Amino acid sequence: MTRSPNDGTAGRLTVRAPGAVAAGLWLLLFLAGLAVFAFAARQSLVGLAPSFAGDYLAYGLSPRAAFALLGGAALGLAGALLQRTLRNPAADASTLGVGAGAQLALGAATLFAPSLIAEARSLVAFGGGGGALALVLYLARSRNYDPVTMILCGLVVSLVCGALSATLILAGGDYMLSLYLWGGGTLAQTGWRNDAVLASLLISAGLAAFLLRRPLALLGLSDETAKSLGVSTAAIRLAVVLVATVLATTVTAFAGIIGFVGLMAANLARLSGARTPGAQLLAAPLVGAVLLFATDAAVLAIEAVFGTGVATGAVTALIGGPLLLWLLPRLPQRATAPMATAFRRLAAPRAVLLCLAALTVVAALVSLLLKPDATGFFREQADIAALLPLRWPRLLAGASASAMLAVAGVVLQRFTANPIASPEVLGISSGAGLGLAALLLVAPFAGTGAMLVATGAGSLAALAAILIFARAARLGPERLLLGGIAVASLAGAGVTLVMARGGPEASRLLDWMSGSTLRVTSGLALAEAVLAVLLLPLACLAHRWLAVLGLGAVTSRSLGLSPSRAGGLLVTLAAILTAAATLAVGPLSFVGLMAPHLARSMGFARPREQLVGAALLGALIMIATDTAARSLAFPYQLPTGLFAALVGGPYLVAMLLRRAR
Amino acid sequence: MTRPRTGLTRRAFLSAVGASFACPGVAIAAAGDGFAVVDWALLETALALGLVPLAAPELILYRRLVVEPPVPATVLDLGLRGALGFERLALLRPGIVYGSNYSAWAAPQIEAIAPFEAFELFVPGEPPLDKIAAMTLALAGDFGIAGHGRAVVARARAELAARRTQLAGIDTRDVLLVDVGDASHVRVYGADSLFGETLARLGLANAWIGGTRYSATAPVGIEALAAHPQAFLIVVGPVPPDARAEMRQGALWRALPPVAAGRFAVVDPCNAFGALPAALRLARLVTAALLSAKGRSPA
Repeated sequence: MTRSPNDGTAGRLTVRAPGAVAAGLWLLLFLAGLAVFAFAARQSLVGLAPSFAGDYLAYGLSPRAAFALLGGAALGLAGALLQRTLRNPAADASTLGVGAGAQLALGAATLFAPSLIAEARSLVAFGGGGGALALVLYLARSRNYDPVTMILCGLVVSLVCGALSATLILAGGDYMLSLYLWGGGTLAQTGWRNDAVLASLLISAGLAAFLLRRPLALLGLSDETAKSLGVSTAAIRLAVVLVATVLATTVTAFAGIIGFVGLMAANLARLSGARTPGAQLLAAPLVGAVLLFATDAAVLAIEAVFGTGVATGAVTALIGGPLLLWLLPRLPQRATAPMATAFRRLAAPRAVLLCLAALTVVAALVSLLLKPDATGFFREQADIAALLPLRWPRLLAGASASAMLAVAGVVLQRFTANPIASPEVLGISSGAGLGLAALLLVAPFAGTGAMLVATGAGSLAALAAILIFARAARLGPERLLLGGIAVASLAGAGVTLVMARGGPEASRLLDWMSGSTLRVTSGLALAEAVLAVLLLPLACLAHRWLAVLGLGAVTSRSLGLSPSRAGGLLVTLAAILTAAATLAVGPLSFVGLMAPHLARSMGFARPREQLVGAALLGALIMIATDTAARSLAFPYQLPTGLFAALVGGPYLVAMLLRRAR
Repeated sequence: MTRPRTGLTRRAFLSAVGASFACPGVAIAAAGDGFAVVDWALLETALALGLVPLAAPELILYRRLVVEPPVPATVLDLGLRGALGFERLALLRPGIVYGSNYSAWAAPQIEAIAPFEAFELFVPGEPPLDKIAAMTLALAGDFGIAGHGRAVVARARAELAARRTQLAGIDTRDVLLVDVGDASHVRVYGADSLFGETLARLGLANAWIGGTRYSATAPVGIEALAAHPQAFLIVVGPVPPDARAEMRQGALWRALPPVAAGRFAVVDPCNAFGALPAALRLARLVTAALLSAKGRSPA
């Protein structure tokens, strides 16, 4: 058989064909979006006075459609730039904490510097988003910008920023509704001003990207190669990251957090056949524009038909979540050193444990006897008697819940061999939140019992999702962590969707998220204590498994322990512990992250010691935090869970920085 | 609601109240005898009756949003309404604590401190003013000033009726009362809200006939306001700073039929979940807005 020269072209065609087909599909999606948009526009114009209908089309709907296209393009370009320059295909404004940082800065400015927010909204957003990103990158630097570590840090920074934002909403009073609404990500426009700003920004950013396309192509290679070619990588990286941050934070300033659009756009552009950096930088904005436009058109149609508000930004996050789930296990691994580093080992762990136990008891006593504004101790029997019934339930519930979270954290950190693994990061507590959100959506005034069932079901569902995901390629610790991140993001989007409705269910959800121990009744406190007493020994019984699993899968199998079965049981236990704990202290306390690590660095090296030590430390941390939260701004009460998160976030940062040395 | 109270406390109340009735605004003397409120509607009402509670919640925000009646400096702050400082309440040892159904969540903790009476004031679908009047009378009765209570309620009725006569001459009877969320979203107060019913008592028609949830609608896009082109649009403050700029300059806001026709006003903050004082304050603000608009327009 002889090959004609034509075969070559045919071969090229088959290579090119996927790109062409993909482009056709994207065009089709755009047209579908256009059709849906037209339908939604017609529906929403029907009831309006004819004189206003034209204005609404001109100043409401059209700028909104334009903003969807421009915003999608901006986020797509930002995503492509970040992914290219950080060599991390999961990089995005929402996965790296940029959106949450910008949101926090805007929320703070709304409350504390209202004139600033009216004048320089984008600047405020840039400050917050840029700060968050800088922190994430600084943290990730210690592990050689390992993609998974970077995303983990992004998630933790996002969670801390979210906790702070929630505190602001709670304290917000006057502008609470505005903060709620904006948190969800809404593209509604009341004129062309935002479009004009975004369009000019997009043009300059596009120009910058075009000028940087060559150095960007080199950044895809290793730093050494780039340097040997005479490119100053640091300066270019900084420039590119700055451009991307400006784009993403401007969109956040105008529309709130639009989740995962950049992530989806850049990856789908690559999957659609955009291989070279230049093609990706061109395709990602286009894909992003189509994605956001189509999503927003669907949201508009839902709003027009059902008359109920939907947050576009949360919807994109719901769509993007599964993509993240698919993408994360495919991330390149760049971590050099294993997470476990040498800690000193205590000579007499038992004695130290006893000391810790004694300290916990003392702390509890101090907390019970302290004056409300912490200016001294009560002397009068009557005063103590008056406050005791208020204090012991929240103290007992908080301490029990934290001990459970700490033990869950030890189990997860030991099993995944990763010090950032914790119930918060694994999405189990976010799952609890999603369960609660679903319940409150149906029954805004549901009671505590129903709430317990809902958070329990949510935690278990999240856990099941993670396990199914991880089982797809046997239960590897790293995969578990990745599945957890994706589930956390997905569940978080669901919670946001309910929260952005701004009704009574939103305030109850916020209440739970804030982890206020104020409403803990003596019944719940006793229930938490009983659960802790029942479940903690169970975890201690499993200490041998933890020790064996820590030696690696091969060793454990040779020692007769099936890593997947033992791991599955351990993780299930962690999920149950978490679900029980979140009822009292909310989902964001970070005790499950802090306490195990603190115990380890104190020298509790063996699993059993670490389990007990972490439980005691967790209780101790929560007693201290709860006492501070109730006295610092007396009579105004800080929500304990959020306050703990505000302590835990910086601790995590310090811990990672120490690791960097 | 049950009211488990001892005769002793009641006597203590009566003597204390006697003093405060003779000289309204004077705090009830000894700790242990006084009362506390955990809801703004009750705080407004108590102050309007000349009763000064030992403590009340969120006074910083109250002074900014509710404004009147002013709170005497002797009243202690109890912290956020959604996160009450129970410890301060417990140390004050009030004889009784009053709240509304919005503070019912705190019943377990409050009842451990003092008898707690929560008035069911705001129920979706049920206009609240009659319940508020009944609550005012009940509160006055508790303190042995039933006559004064009836006078306060009657004065409120009379004032609303007088405003109604004042407004008899205006052309626009349809009013849309909203609360601004962000530049493109508002909450509309329905007929079952305190504000909505106050409009009705002023002889005005609430243009919004759609459903509401907890007295105001879930946030709706501002385009929904255009479905009522003949209405007078009143925004109850406070308006978020960025939305304020947009309301002045935004093309869509200026195109809204009420705004384009000049039937638009922003009034000072007012407590949407208040009591008679809030209703009177809103009535005064709305009347002033409508009358000054009438003065402006050529018709």
